[in-house]
Amino acid sequence: MTDVETKFGVPNADTDDRSVRPRVGPLAGVRVADFCWMGVGSVATRTLGDFGAETIKIENREVIDRTRRLPIYKNSPARNFGQELLDADPNKGGMFNNYCRNKLSVTINMRTDAGRGLAEKLIAKCGVVTENYAPGVMERWGLTEERIREISPSIVYARMSGYGHSGPHSGYRSYGPNVQAVSGLSQISGLPGREPSGWGFSYMDNQAAYHCTAAILLAIYNRNITGRGTVIDMSAFEVGINLIGPLMLDVSVNNRPARRPDFPTGNRLENPNAAPHGVYPALGQDKWIAISVFNDAQWQGLGKALDQPTWMADERLATQAGRFANQDFIDENLSAWSKIRDRHETASLLQSFEVPAGAVQSAKDLDEVDPQTAFRRVNFELDHPVIGPARFEGNPMLFSRSKPDNWRSGPLLGEDNDYVFKEVLGLDEDELGRLQRDGAI
Amino acid sequence: MVEDQTPEALDGIKIVELTRDPAGEFVGKLLAGFHADVLKVELPEGSPGRHVGPFVGREEDVDRSLNFWYYNTNKRSAVLEYRTAEGRKLLEDLLDSTDVLISGIVPQELSDLGLDLQALEAEFPRLIILSMTPYGLTGPWKDWASSDLVALALGSPLNSCGYDDHSIPPIRPGGGQSYHTAASFGLLGVLLALLERQTSGRGQLIDVGMHDCLAVSSELANLFWFYPGVEVQRQTCRAAQPTPTQPCLFRCADDRWVYLATFAAEQKGWVTLLEWLESKDLAVDLSDPKWQEASYRQENFYHVYEILTVFLQLQTAEEAYHEGQARGVAIGPLNSPEDLFNDEHLIARGLFVPVEDDQVAGSVIYPRLPYKFSDIELAPLSRPPRLGEHTEALIRSIKS
Repeated sequence: MTDVETKFGVPNADTDDRSVRPRVGPLAGVRVADFCWMGVGSVATRTLGDFGAETIKIENREVIDRTRRLPIYKNSPARNFGQELLDADPNKGGMFNNYCRNKLSVTINMRTDAGRGLAEKLIAKCGVVTENYAPGVMERWGLTEERIREISPSIVYARMSGYGHSGPHSGYRSYGPNVQAVSGLSQISGLPGREPSGWGFSYMDNQAAYHCTAAILLAIYNRNITGRGTVIDMSAFEVGINLIGPLMLDVSVNNRPARRPDFPTGNRLENPNAAPHGVYPALGQDKWIAISVFNDAQWQGLGKALDQPTWMADERLATQAGRFANQDFIDENLSAWSKIRDRHETASLLQSFEVPAGAVQSAKDLDEVDPQTAFRRVNFELDHPVIGPARFEGNPMLFSRSKPDNWRSGPLLGEDNDYVFKEVLGLDEDELGRLQRDGAI
Repeated sequence: MVEDQTPEALDGIKIVELTRDPAGEFVGKLLAGFHADVLKVELPEGSPGRHVGPFVGREEDVDRSLNFWYYNTNKRSAVLEYRTAEGRKLLEDLLDSTDVLISGIVPQELSDLGLDLQALEAEFPRLIILSMTPYGLTGPWKDWASSDLVALALGSPLNSCGYDDHSIPPIRPGGGQSYHTAASFGLLGVLLALLERQTSGRGQLIDVGMHDCLAVSSELANLFWFYPGVEVQRQTCRAAQPTPTQPCLFRCADDRWVYLATFAAEQKGWVTLLEWLESKDLAVDLSDPKWQEASYRQENFYHVYEILTVFLQLQTAEEAYHEGQARGVAIGPLNSPEDLFNDEHLIARGLFVPVEDDQVAGSVIYPRLPYKFSDIELAPLSRPPRLGEHTEALIRSIKS
């Protein structure tokens, strides 16, 4: 380790030593055979690796994980998601690096008998198996739930898919945005009377993953007490529906459909009747500030911040109900005020009068302007042999004792074959050589 | 199925909730579903969430808030005036036998109350304290005010959401997702701390700031900034990316929308889509062999979008969904919550369950929690507590 403190206060790992070492944290001693891939799968096992589990990604050289292929590269011109390079270097991808730090990588060709045998040997040495392939893939490799529990009787076997592993649509295909669509999360987001604006990212890849991780942690906790393992069947669709929140009950209890001319409400808020409640223009091109006022005290604070303009004295605005009924009027006047002002300065000004307000920040703002994330040092840096030093999204749970063990950046494809096959599985050089010749590794 | 008397999941874990917003409440709801005994300690006026609608039948009342109902299933409620010395003593007595405290109290209020979470951590060595606040317990913004909208703005998810037309501001994704994002990390925090305590016997303080949670949950936006150093632009109902991409929303014959993203580079996906178009004689010129080249598709993708627009206008969202999926196309309708109750897949999986509440609303339909275990039974959902419903039992148990 060097003693150079990075911007985020975390020392850079020494690039020369990437060898596997015993891990520390709440999950130290837990070994995971990780068949997960894509964004959602990689996020689901990220927390396990961060907190000490020896998380071994089982990869295939012929079917490279999409997060390794997406064109998110350092010092390269930006390319959109759909414009991936057809011959991309699998060790260069930033998305994979961010999602798979603190994990190990082995390459096993599951289409060969020897490869499947090797995977079974590995499962026998693991307490957790994870996967998020299309339903049926693990079974095609002979890895049925029964077989996995036979190999490792107290296994926690977490399966994650869009629709779950039972039901008439279990074979349906989905990515994060599909899950947002079918679960209702997209339809409830947008301006009234036009197409939904939905989501500008795969929210459900993150959320389905976080809830899958929670299910795994609960299952490990339960096993520590009972000695019993479990199969977990996570459906991202079902997670999404749970995230509709109280609106779901407005539909089921009050019989009030959410597909109606005055809904969704854009940035306005029905419950409670907040006003103003919106995103207002700020100085600069496409710069915005969010402001929300829930009560008289905040409205008075807004008045002081704006230096008591005459429009705010309008008697229609004397009560929260009156303000809610006259939002067009408020928004027009507030926009005229906000649009000639810097969004960060406006946020600080309004907050000094206890008015909830914040600039619409970009990733760049989080990095360069935001004093809070800098202070809390959630993100960190690690070096990578191909990519070089890179920043990582950290864990926002700041524990007084259980710090994440940020041990190594994302593994190179097959980087840990030797460690896993020799030290974990106890294979000798001859056996390894044979497996390589047979195309299993 | 459980065959013996070994405790199940979080059976026996006692949780006290002093929450202020849905972030902490949602964590409590999920832990209660894992069999923890969650006691909501409320001030006499009731939790803030009891005063937020929608209300059952639009009738405003602390026991009729659907906002409160949603986040507080399987919990108990006790009223404790912990702003007074007597109530405060009761609270501390209660913490003595508590495993997890979920606090939503912001730093200023903690200091007004004379509550110090670090002191509690020292006083109760086995206690796990989850602090769930808008910005966390430290930092220059720790005393800033927040809301769902403000949190999504500052944390950056909002910057990715909205319309192609940038004269329209970024638009908030609905449903209270800032709280739900923070809740996920709060849940992971408690579970990790419980696991750690199984080994060490010690609790700890977990400081979760909603702002931090959102700042690491924007998917591609941070990565495009960390790596190529570019910012993403919001685009209607699809991933914000460095430059504009093809639309993914299509309006169907029944005026409902479907989401369909086609990746020009993927050969298998292209063949499947083309077969579907050809089956309806609507492939037009896309059958020409030049479209088999990924690079040609990447350059001319707008034409594919035009053809798909017409193709999908000629069928209903349900028809397009099921036929597309039967062919292996990742297409999905934009369901509205009311569409979900009759979804055959969700019915088969038993997602919606009735929760009995004789006094206020009879039988209420909720989604069950989104976890299915072969060997752990979750607690069946039970109705949220009325304000102070379990106060007397609590006082009795503390005094004994």
